[in-house]
Amino acid sequence: MSTQVEQPSADRTDWGNALALESAISALIVLIVVFLWGVTSGGYFWPMWVIFALAVPIVVQLAVRRALQVPPGPHRALALHGAGSGSLVLIELTIYALSGGGYFWPVWVIAWLVLAFGVHAIIVARRPRERELEERVSELTRTRMGALDVQAAELRRIERDLHDGAQSRLVALSMQLGRAEERLEGQPEIADLVRRAREEAGNAIAELRDLARGIAPPVLADRGLAAAAEALGRRAPMPVTVDVDLSSRPLPVVETAAYFVVAESLTNAAKHAGGAAAHVDLSERDGRLVIEVWDEGPGGADMNGTGLTGLRHRVEALDGTLTVSEAAGGGTLVHAELPCGW
Amino acid sequence: MRVVIVEDQALLREGIVALLREQGVDVVAQAEDAAGLLRIVNGHKPDVAIVDVRLPPSFTDEGLRAAIEARSQRPELGILILSQYVEPVYTAELLASGEGGIGYLLKERVGEVRAFVDAVERVATGGTALDREVVAELMRSRGDRSGDTALDELTPRESEVLGLMAEGRTNAAIARAMVVTPGAVEKHISSIFGKLDLPSTDDDHRRVLAVLAYLRAAND
Repeated sequence: MSTQVEQPSADRTDWGNALALESAISALIVLIVVFLWGVTSGGYFWPMWVIFALAVPIVVQLAVRRALQVPPGPHRALALHGAGSGSLVLIELTIYALSGGGYFWPVWVIAWLVLAFGVHAIIVARRPRERELEERVSELTRTRMGALDVQAAELRRIERDLHDGAQSRLVALSMQLGRAEERLEGQPEIADLVRRAREEAGNAIAELRDLARGIAPPVLADRGLAAAAEALGRRAPMPVTVDVDLSSRPLPVVETAAYFVVAESLTNAAKHAGGAAAHVDLSERDGRLVIEVWDEGPGGADMNGTGLTGLRHRVEALDGTLTVSEAAGGGTLVHAELPCGW
Repeated sequence: MRVVIVEDQALLREGIVALLREQGVDVVAQAEDAAGLLRIVNGHKPDVAIVDVRLPPSFTDEGLRAAIEARSQRPELGILILSQYVEPVYTAELLASGEGGIGYLLKERVGEVRAFVDAVERVATGGTALDREVVAELMRSRGDRSGDTALDELTPRESEVLGLMAEGRTNAAIARAMVVTPGAVEKHISSIFGKLDLPSTDDDHRRVLAVLAYLRAAND
């Protein structure tokens, strides 16, 4: 333990020198006192009290010095506590012994000191565990957020790769098939085959497009949450107002989760609110992105539908919350909050 | 007709160029980013620019922004945006950038060679070419939220004609697509304009703009 302690060496030398000097002076005094006791005919060995008085500061110093070798923090406090209490116990025992025994009066003080030290020791022993757990939780929260964010970025990359890769190749293929078709005017049967091949390519492109939109809607990546929410509002079969008050773009993972909250809530509203108007409100409050979607319908949306459960999982994975309740006008209100990660 | 093409992916750019040249279209220049678009539009004075919506460096909507900027410099320039997505926000911005000479098509429509060349020609001459998916979206949202039921009063044939008109097709093209006579198309159109209470005109482009204005009315 002592090897781990970092202390300026000058300090240690000074202290060591001081202690050595003190010990030497004490030894000299003891020698003189014992000599005086000798020449004054002996009898009761009173110099033992002088020796005791000189020894106390040395012992206390040694104990405190040892305690200070413990790294700063709760453990050093405990060590100092132990050094102090230990010194006191030692002094009491010595006085008891030197004064000739009898009723063991130091027992009470020692009992209290031991009790106090024990309580302190238990507190110190427990605290690092709590702190360790706290650190672990915050580390896990951070790394999970990081992992999810990497995942969201990765999904956007896949969307882009689909766009530039497979989709583009299929588009090129359908162009070439179209050109072939044009040259086959004299052979309608073959031209028809080529046309059907081109239509198949078109279907594949459409399916890839739907897939890519489900992964990461292009307008979200291109224009951000506000524009994507507007686009969702336009697409909805009922009138939708969209209010956005955000100072900057949240992390991709938060943006994507928020997008799907709005998308799914509007889909639900379209299903259950019978064409009544819906409203989307995106704002930030205390570092959290607050998403509210409500409709003016009759309410009664399925609170535990698979869509909402999936949404809740998505939101909770980001340490967010999602609640579904009755809106002021009787419709359904979806309220979600997400840490922005700004 | 002078055409320029701005597409960052060589495979697609070369495909479109080859396809158009085979159809006798004069492709005068190509570029692969937004700066290139502005350069070739100013240098080659094209009638129409075919522009990919996603361009470097950010691959978001540079193509659209650059095209709208190019148009503000040369208002007579036709813009045909190609995209792999139907994005109502982008379509709305494009339609708001000025009247006529505007197109928004999904990329795979290029493979429908005749229709594509037809669309390029329309945009070059101040007409409109909207993807049928864009039109379907416009018609759906107009019907859903305007509260008026005029669209519901159209017969299925009339709805079909309305959709084809919104795509920007000429009467002759609508007649071909529906395999009916031009006269029958005319009849449908006057019936539609009566039911939707739109001002009648003989100009194809004006009719298209009237239909688009009607469909977009509840969306802005």
